Amino acid sequence: MTCEQLKDEYELHALGLSEVPERWEIDNHLRQGCAHCREGISKALLTNVMIMQLAPDVPVPRNLRKRVLASVGVQSVNWGWRAVWATAMAALLVSVVWLGVENRQKSAFTAEARETLAILNEPETRQVAFGNVAPVAPPQGRVLVNAKHGVLLLASNLPHAPAGKTYELWVIPKGGAPKPSGLFQSDARGTAMYVSSGPVDVSTLGAVAVTLEPEAGSAAPTSTPVIVAALSD
Amino acid sequence: MFLFPLLFAAIHAEGDRELAERLKRREPQAMADLYDRYGRVTYILIFRIVRNTGTAEDLVQETFLRVWNRMQAFDHEKGALGPWVLTVARNRAIDYLRSVDGRMAQNAFELETNEHPSLFSNLETEVLNSDRARRLKTAFEKLTPNQRLVIELAYYEGLSQSEMAGRMKQPLGTIKTWVRGALKALREDLGEALAI
Repeated sequence: MTCEQLKDEYELHALGLSEVPERWEIDNHLRQGCAHCREGISKALLTNVMIMQLAPDVPVPRNLRKRVLASVGVQSVNWGWRAVWATAMAALLVSVVWLGVENRQKSAFTAEARETLAILNEPETRQVAFGNVAPVAPPQGRVLVNAKHGVLLLASNLPHAPAGKTYELWVIPKGGAPKPSGLFQSDARGTAMYVSSGPVDVSTLGAVAVTLEPEAGSAAPTSTPVIVAALSD
Repeated sequence: MFLFPLLFAAIHAEGDRELAERLKRREPQAMADLYDRYGRVTYILIFRIVRNTGTAEDLVQETFLRVWNRMQAFDHEKGALGPWVLTVARNRAIDYLRSVDGRMAQNAFELETNEHPSLFSNLETEVLNSDRARRLKTAFEKLTPNQRLVIELAYYEGLSQSEMAGRMKQPLGTIKTWVRGALKALREDLGEALAI
């Protein structure tokens, strides 16, 4: 096919939506160094990005920035899990008191703080320790699971994932396949705090695990878990 | 569907080269700056696709993690940072939709290849300004309802033309006509602004 015949397909190709035979034809032109198709694809990339921005405005969750930065280890916390725990509790306590005085509880809580507080406070939350304090310390910390709010992981001694890799949290039902539950990164000191929000079927939950995965994450674990927190009955 | 005005302040090339260079050096503050520049538009795009706050937050996190980890392959001298971030964001969201409705295997490879950092070299970096935004909005509003629908299905649901034909119960030829007509109209209206 000629470039003229293919030009209407450039945007779809740049979106990954072109179909055979046009997809093969454009790929072939590009492999052969076709300047016309290369320029067409470049323009299509820009057109696509502009069209993507037709999406309607929505409010952005206030805690998202903190969460994104924490996931790549930018907001480093130099303490072990005990300090993280204590700080989280203290911050939440202060928040509750202040918000009570100010009668602004609903508006001032971040989503993450709400989830964290719910997991920490509710009596049905189940907690399990992992790791130990051996001289060459493996990852250690706490996993807290709440049926309504999700899973909270507090870990230390978790080495910063190398370039191209990230940590992935898995919720593993008894006798079932691990379910991917989010990607996160530890900071330079090996500390991580991660919340996987959403309901969890605690009655069938067998374990929570963490593996090192490719940066985009995996649909199923591809490496030996670095953290396994088994929930006993 | 309408444009969100604050976006235009966020999409700019000013400083992107320096920001990309700092990201490649893995400076922590650079990641904060990247989020401050593109976090909002990334969330809005992903939310439009997945329509769920929690999922959108997860995917924004994945997007920035992916960009952070792939930064070494990005050409900070010639690369267009904003378009790359948004393309990665869309791909994460479309990947999610496909995993939910079982379409993952069919086009997964295409999504992986269409976001390689090298593709975003030598692109115009100033993707949108207010003139272009108005032009784009006007162009989109001039499309027929069916043309607007197929554009939304392609860009926000990741459907191929064959998949659209199945979804809309229309012949493939009809779908292709609508898609080509819509893209042609958008291209023509944006043509001057998009001159490379």
